[in-house]
Parts: sequence; structure tokens; C-alpha cells
Amino acid sequence: MKTISIDHLTRVEGNGGITATIDGKTVTEVKFNVFEGPRLIERLTVGRTPEEDVSLAPRICAICSVSHKNAVLRAMEDALDVNVSKKIIYSRELMHMGEMIESHSLHTFLLALPDFLGYPNAIAMAGDFEFEAKIGLEMKNYGNHIMKVYNGRWIHGENAVIGGFGQLPTKEDLTWIKSRALQFMPFVNKTVALFCGLDYPDIPEDDTLYVCCEPGNNEYGFWGDEILLSTGEKYSKYDYPKVTNEYTVSHSFCKRSRYNGRPFSVGALARVNNLGDRLEGQAGEMYRKYFNDRWKKNPLFHAAAQALEIMYCFERIPQLVDLILADREEPALIPYTTKEGTGTGLVEAPRGTLIHHYAIKNGLVDHSDIITPTAMNAEEIERYCHIAAQKLLDEGKEDEIRARMDIVVRAFDPCISCSAHSVEIERVPETAWKDRLLELSAKKAPFFVGVGTEDRSDDRAGLELAARLKEMGIADVYTEKDIDSIRSIQEQRPIIFLDAVNMGESPGKITLIPVDHVLRNVNNSHKFTPFIVGALNGAQIKNSYVLGIQPGTTDFGTEMSSSVKEAVQKVVSALTN
Amino acid sequence: MNNGKPKIGIYELTGCAGDALLIVDCEMELLDIFTAADIQSFAMAKSDNIDGELDVALVEGSVTTEKEISELKDIRERAKIVVAFGNCAAHGGIQARFDDKEWQENLKKVYGNQKFTHTKPVRSKPIDEFVKVDFYLPGCPVSKEQFLHFLTRMLKGNPPEHYPTPVCVTCKYNENDCLLNNGKLCLGPLTADGCGSVCPNHNIPCFGCWGPVENANAIAELHLLKEKGFSVEEIKKRMANFAGTKLADAIKQL
Repeated sequence: MKTISIDHLTRVEGNGGITATIDGKTVTEVKFNVFEGPRLIERLTVGRTPEEDVSLAPRICAICSVSHKNAVLRAMEDALDVNVSKKIIYSRELMHMGEMIESHSLHTFLLALPDFLGYPNAIAMAGDFEFEAKIGLEMKNYGNHIMKVYNGRWIHGENAVIGGFGQLPTKEDLTWIKSRALQFMPFVNKTVALFCGLDYPDIPEDDTLYVCCEPGNNEYGFWGDEILLSTGEKYSKYDYPKVTNEYTVSHSFCKRSRYNGRPFSVGALARVNNLGDRLEGQAGEMYRKYFNDRWKKNPLFHAAAQALEIMYCFERIPQLVDLILADREEPALIPYTTKEGTGTGLVEAPRGTLIHHYAIKNGLVDHSDIITPTAMNAEEIERYCHIAAQKLLDEGKEDEIRARMDIVVRAFDPCISCSAHSVEIERVPETAWKDRLLELSAKKAPFFVGVGTEDRSDDRAGLELAARLKEMGIADVYTEKDIDSIRSIQEQRPIIFLDAVNMGESPGKITLIPVDHVLRNVNNSHKFTPFIVGALNGAQIKNSYVLGIQPGTTDFGTEMSSSVKEAVQKVVSALTN
Repeated sequence: MNNGKPKIGIYELTGCAGDALLIVDCEMELLDIFTAADIQSFAMAKSDNIDGELDVALVEGSVTTEKEISELKDIRERAKIVVAFGNCAAHGGIQARFDDKEWQENLKKVYGNQKFTHTKPVRSKPIDEFVKVDFYLPGCPVSKEQFLHFLTRMLKGNPPEHYPTPVCVTCKYNENDCLLNNGKLCLGPLTADGCGSVCPNHNIPCFGCWGPVENANAIAELHLLKEKGFSVEEIKKRMANFAGTKLADAIKQL
């Protein structure tokens, strides 16, 4: 029995873990667990005034508190028809830049860099890499300073309110921020060279769907009123449920998201993939110098993307300060009255797209919906860990799985308070398939579908098994020829495909794996039969499994090898006893 | 003691991780903190964590799962001093506002009938509902100054400073115009000090995020705010937001 388990993911913000289950040579399951308990924040905002919610909702997360503030403000001002001045919008953007710099410098230099240099933490790294550790800390301090100047304090500041700010910073505060940004540029250049030039491992890599806000005007930016996918599709912010499609899972308090049945990535890497060609100035030059196809499929490049964004922010800050100072006459706060309405606020938090949606009725919040970036990334974290674990297992590097999964999780810079600290690898016994099969059958009788070719010896295993089950009087047994009947199955019952699967095991080895996990892992999907994909709809896929038997030979012939015959008998006995 | 350095563990239960982040945010002091103290466990900042005997355990967050109850009890057994670090640990945080019935209903509204296999959720409570707490350092998040004072005293083996005054005291030192006098629903008189009256300094009324100050006179505040034209329900709701479980019953009875 083998479980690779990281019970407490470290160097991330919040409380979670990850578990990989290994059956022989197949990684059958990877679960990203969020232990951070349920806080029910959305429900806490209901029945409160919009002003109270502007203070309550950002308490979801300390490191993204400014992103939450900007998201809730954009949503409330949308609902209440409050149109703030350009100066207020620039001021909020500057405050947002503070959070980007603070969060990105923390993640790149202090949380992720120790992984690539081989240290357990930034303090240990600081002994040999004092310069890097100090740049990281100085940048972080600068980012926090911007947030403090604007919001009163850097975590959970309250100065930004509906209609503007309680008080705006002085000219001296702003010119200091600008001159400091200019002074940082040589260090910013070193940051980009360091993180864009790192030799990132090529496990895991896979095609990825990236999602971010569309800032409009062909500009780079951290908010917008549309959602942009890497396919080029766009959705209005009001149609966000069409992209996120949230659902719950039993092993986590963090909800999940999929677009068209497909998990998607959000965050700095998504933004650079979708919007990078819009970068101007030195950030644009660096993007053109370093960006390549590996950025499109390798989550470890998150750190490189964050370094590019740090540069973008440092170039944007002096412009913003000039824009704000040019508009000295605008008031800090504009008056408004509470009315009924609904509003949606879309921003890019450092770790990805953040959505706040509220309905206001009788002066109070009647409905609220908050979707956080880590919730959207959760499926991707599992998918990439699965790919990494299977690839390393295939290469005989099982002892590297744990450390690699740890790095993959951290690459997403998950903020688990959003919803998770830890990696667990479980090696299940030979008979794991049996317990799982019986557990499935006990809840609701499954449909069985035999897959294979009659005249290719062990490749008959699935068909043979289907025939034997039918003989034993088990109802609802099909073969792949009955594909139309399978498609039309409406009942919510598990579908179990019986198939000979080359897992590189000794003949007769039996493995049960969710189809979903076959589909999301390139390393597995070439082993398991591809016909399943087109035949099923999304709901069916979630409730389907492959019971695979390792063939000995698949040469022409009608006789199966003895070990495969035994395996077929084992499955029949398990189901009929 | 390890080479004369106190062994410190920093733990996060359920919350926004803001108090642990605040330690990481002591950018200019961070290397000194790690040099002066033996930081045995700090999941947010390091991977090589040891869960052994401790001199001081700083616990952030409220208790919201059964797994956290056992983790907390284990921390208590290993640590000489347990500190409730931040509002969630000290009072339960904003997530502690629901009573049992409300909590059940709202859990269902968010997660439907989903059964959880990894751990069982429980209604949010402050850590002193489960273990003895030696010191409290509230805040949302805790103040950097209060934390550094606290740590320095702990490192020298001295008891921490006590902060018995409300936000109003600092607000007066800062020469702010009283927002209550200006008809704003300000919770300064009821709220523990430590933030430096940051919100009133920006012309924003106190929202009570530090949690209630000792001997908070909620009745006097209620009468004052009623005179200013606020409804009792509105005032009680505002008071309840950050009061956690400790003042909940008192507020309901107002």
C-alpha cells in the first residue's frame, strides 16, 4: 500500500494537502484537500449593508485583501450605479499594484526560489543568496508600503470605500512612491533575468486552457468587464457562471470550476499567455525575449510570469502617480444612495481571476457569490500533480514524486485561505480494485461495457468478461457495439468499462480508475481506450470508470493467456459472491 | 531552550492567514526574528517543520473542523505557552457569528448535501473553547508593533504587555474629530486598541475588527447610537460582525 502524502503543504498561504494514490504502475487518483474549514463568508454578507460587506468580504484572504476590496467595490458600485472619477480608478489601480508587487515578490523570491535552488526555506537560502533574499524583502516591503499609504494598513485596510476613499494620500506620499519605483528598476531587471532564465523541469507539461480578465483597449491590466479565454472566446462579466460552473467535492471545502467540462488555469501565467503580446516598454521587450511555447503548458513558469508582471507594475506606477497628481481637484469621495440592483466585480488577484457578485434588496445584501482563483485552480493543481506523478512513476523515479508535487502545488501560488498545507502518496494493495468495485456496486447497480477485439488473444478480456457477467445473470451488460444505447443512458448509475489496458504491469494485473482521471492525464490517456471520450456526456464521464486488465499478448488468436483468464475469473467472483 | 533560543511554533487554523502573513510582512525584522528565536514550525514560510516541544505556540485562526480540534490539543500538549494570535483565535472571527442553527442552515446553503470525507466541519469557535490560552493578541490582523513588542518580551522570558484600552484612547491622542459626534456609526468605544485608530484617522468609522475591549460598555454605546438615529437592529448587527462568540449572547440580549 502506497500513499504519497503531504499533510501540510508548506510555503503557501493557508491550510491544505495533496494525496496521490498508486496502484502498481498507475497513479489512480490525486486529491487536493483543503482542510481550511468552511467559513461561509458569502452567507455572512447576506443581510448586511453594502458598506459592511465592503469590510467583511475581503476578510476571506489576507494576502489578496486589496484584490477582494477592489472586487467588492467594483461589484457594489455596479449594483448601486456609482460612477467614480478617473482619479479614484487610477488610485485603486495603484493600490492594486502594491498588492501585486508584494504578493509576487513573496512568492517568487521567498516561497518558490528555495525550491529551484534546493533550500527548505528563504531564511536558509539567505545565507548563500543574501542579495536575492534582500531584493525580495525590499520589494515586498515597498508593495506593502503602497497599500498602507492608500488603505491605512496593508492587510485589511479600510480606507477604500464605495464612492472613493476616506482620505487620499498626500503629494509627498505619492512622489515618494514614484521615485522609489524608478530606483528599483535595476533590481527589477535582475528579477526578470533570474526568474525568466531559470531552468524549469519539463515535468509536468500539458496543453492548458488559460482564463483571465479582458482589460479592454488592447491593454495589459488587472481588471475588466469581460472574461477572456486562451481559445479567444470572451464572456461578459455577468455570464461568469458559464465559465466557472462551480461544484463541490467530498475531499475539500474548496469548490471547483470547469469550463465545458475542462479544468482551466488562472493567475500570472494565464495573464501572460492571454495578454503578454500587449505588454509595452521593458516588460514588452522581456516578454518577447523570454516567452516561448513551454510557457503555454508548464505551470512552473508561473514564477517567470510573475517576474514579468513585477516589471509591468514598476513601469506602470510612475505613470499612475503622474495621472493621479494631474487631477488634484477631484474629491476623494462622491455621495451615492443605496438602491436595489445586482452587480458583478471582476479583478485579477495576484493568483488569478476573482469574481464578486451581489444582489441588493431593501438596502441590504440579498444574495452574494464569491469565486476565488484558488477554487478555479484546484482542478488544475490535481491534474498537473497527476501528470507529474504518472510521468515520474513511468520513468522509475517514484522517490521524486513527493517533492515534485509539492513544487507543482506551490507554483500555482495557492492561497488556501481562499477556501488549503500538504502531499500524500498512497500505494494501494493488489486488491484495491475489488473494494472499490464493490463499493460502487453497493450504491447503485452499474452498467458494464465490454471493450476489445475478439481475435486478438488477451485483448478479448473485456468482451469475455462482459459475456461471463451476462451468463451469471447480471443485468445491464453491454459491449462497445452497443455504443448508441450507452449514449442514451439517462440514469445516474456508474458506467464501468471492462478493457485490456497496457499499463506495463505483469499480465493479469487489475486496476480500477475513474475515466475522468484517464482523460485529464496525457500519460494515462494513451494507455486507456480513447473511444470512451466521444461516447459520453459530462455527467456520465464523472460517474464512469475503467476496469483494466493487463494483457500478456495481443497477437492474433482466440485463446487468452492463463493469467488473464484468472483475472477475468477474479472479477466475476467478486461481482457474483 | 535550544542554544538558549526559545522554540517557537506558528500554526494556522481557519482564517485568512493574515496574522501569519503579518510575521512574513516584518520584512526588515524577519532575518533577526529567525536568528533570535528557534522557529520550529511555520508552514507558511518553511518546509522543514518539526512538531516537537515548544516554548511558545502562536495559534492563528478559529476552530472549524474536527481535525483542527485534535491539532490544537496536540499543540497545547507540546507548548509551555499558547497564544491566541489574532481575532479569529481570540474571539472566533467573523465566521463565528452564526449560532448552531444558523450555522447548519448556511452550511447547507453553501455546500448542499455534500458529505465531506476528509474531515468533519464544526461551527467556528475561538481556541479557548477547547484548550487553555495563556495570552491573547487580538487584531485583524494583529498589529506589527504589538507583535514585535510581544515577541521581544517572550524572547527575554518576560510576560507580554497588556492593552486594556479601547480605540478611542489612541484616536484622541491622534487628535481626530470624534466620528460619533458627527453622527457616524463608530465602534471605537467598544473595540480593543492596537490598530492606532487607523480608520478614524482616515475619516472612516471604526468597524470593530480587533474584537471587543475588556469591560466594553455595549449598553451605553447602544443608547448613544440610538440617540444618533440608528435602529437597534442595525447597531446590534454592526456590533456582532467581529465580536465572535464572546459578546454574542450579550449583544442578543441588548
